[in-house]
Amino acid sequence: MSAWRPLAWVALFAALAAAPFFLGSYHNDVFRKMLLWVALALGYNFLFGICGQIAFSHFAFYGVGAYSIVILLFQFELPFAVAALLGLALCALVALAVAIPSTRLEGFYLALATLALAQLFIVLLNEGGALTGGTGGLANYRLPEIFGVRIAGPWYTVLIVGLVALTFGILWRLDRSWFGRACRAIRDNPEAAAAMGVNVARTKVIVFTLTSVLAGVAGMVYAFVDNTVNPPIFGLDNAFLLLFMIIVGGAGRHAGAVIGAVLLYLAPFVLSPLIGHHHVLVFGVFVLVAILLYPRGLIGIWDALRQRLA
Amino acid sequence: MPSASALLEVRGLVKRFGGLTAVDRVDFDVREGEILGIIGPNGAGKSTVFNLIAGALPASAGEVRFAGEPILGRPPHAIAALGIMRTFQHNRPFAGMPVVDNVLVGSHARFRAGLWRILAGGGGAEERARRRRAEELIEFVGLGDFAHAEVDTLSFGQGRLLEIARGLAGEPRLMLFDEPAAGLTLAECDRLAGIIRGIAARGIAVLLIEHDMRFLLPLAQRVVVLNFGAKIAEGTPQEVRMHPAVMAAYLGDATAV
Repeated sequence: MSAWRPLAWVALFAALAAAPFFLGSYHNDVFRKMLLWVALALGYNFLFGICGQIAFSHFAFYGVGAYSIVILLFQFELPFAVAALLGLALCALVALAVAIPSTRLEGFYLALATLALAQLFIVLLNEGGALTGGTGGLANYRLPEIFGVRIAGPWYTVLIVGLVALTFGILWRLDRSWFGRACRAIRDNPEAAAAMGVNVARTKVIVFTLTSVLAGVAGMVYAFVDNTVNPPIFGLDNAFLLLFMIIVGGAGRHAGAVIGAVLLYLAPFVLSPLIGHHHVLVFGVFVLVAILLYPRGLIGIWDALRQRLA
Repeated sequence: MPSASALLEVRGLVKRFGGLTAVDRVDFDVREGEILGIIGPNGAGKSTVFNLIAGALPASAGEVRFAGEPILGRPPHAIAALGIMRTFQHNRPFAGMPVVDNVLVGSHARFRAGLWRILAGGGGAEERARRRRAEELIEFVGLGDFAHAEVDTLSFGQGRLLEIARGLAGEPRLMLFDEPAAGLTLAECDRLAGIIRGIAARGIAVLLIEHDMRFLLPLAQRVVVLNFGAKIAEGTPQEVRMHPAVMAAYLGDATAV
């Protein structure tokens, strides 16, 4: 089994990368956004589900990445590589500025600080004048050639599959090491984790910064999916949707994050024709049921079924 | 006090909580490879001494040296990395992981592979070696059948054994036990005493905080007695048992013998 496992992963990602060539432009768009939600959910699951940090800034960092690449490329007309690196550095700096003071405090302070950051980010976008395009955001740009290559159409979807693979690869490697165990230990019992040699504050800062930067990278990629960035996209609605995805799918499990992201992203496509905008209500019920009856989420139900059959 | 050199030196240790002096100028040594017990009635300051050494509480005054290095003021994770591991009086397992992973967290500070090496696909051999070692320790404390079980399937007494295996995974030179017999059945206490002797036999110094003299006196080579935060006696279990101050302090305490 273990010898086939890497091969199965390669096959899976190869199939995901091949899919866009068989999809029309509309379905490519749906597929791209679904993959981006999966990338976001994987990172957020590491922060919230594995390390137990309650933060609401993950989606804001997606926005920081998206806006920074657009502004640096088209307002400051920097070369692509420089703009991308500066965008990454900006995400890391903002993440450190939030994480270092708030992880030293107990409990809800990270939640409050990140909620404030998410709101402040929207205010800055709306009030940013010509730099951010204000309430209308920025549009009418397109991906420049990267090292002489223009990535477009299904190939851009392939790039997003690569982003998911990279995100998953990084988080998977970390999760399966002493580092991932330390994160779970912090989530389960920070005092015992510290007594076992885990530097709790430092680990939390690393996880917060790393997952925020990964969200920023996803945001940079997203900026060229719709070729427009505007404030409502990066608001709290989506921040909470991301949280719901993790809770419904199963916090602390990569597979749970993927299932939650795919399901809650695709659900409106199915539900909207039936009940219009009331699909939000259905989400609410889903989340309540998950929290009250199935705290391990859909992946937990799957585990229980498998155990019963085995 | 000759023979073996002191691994842990506690000098003039003081802890005040507001107007209350919980630990009052306490001195003692733990020597290489010995089992030292600290006993005293409830409220004697035993657990406070323990938490000061483990870095869980800041001291008000005094000095603690481990292998010659001052350690007061260092955070708990740094003290663990130096080679001082502990158990908790109320079991504190990592509930979201199987038993073997709980034990592996104990070896956190011993891993050498950095994050970049792990991201590049390295660290696998180290991970496997540590996992084997963790399984051996689980076997050593007698939880061999539960290595891959979830921790919530363990009984209270098994949870205590898990705490010990987890601590040993940190390759300690000094192991601190916080009331390890509390809440255990007599049979479990006997097994625990055997395990603690086994740990000392591996050359690991043991510091035991214990309320129950029946458990501690046959086990410890030397005993320090605290009462109202101060040291009132020190010596072999025999000496301490006969000490008038100890008898006075324990008089009326039903759990003492």
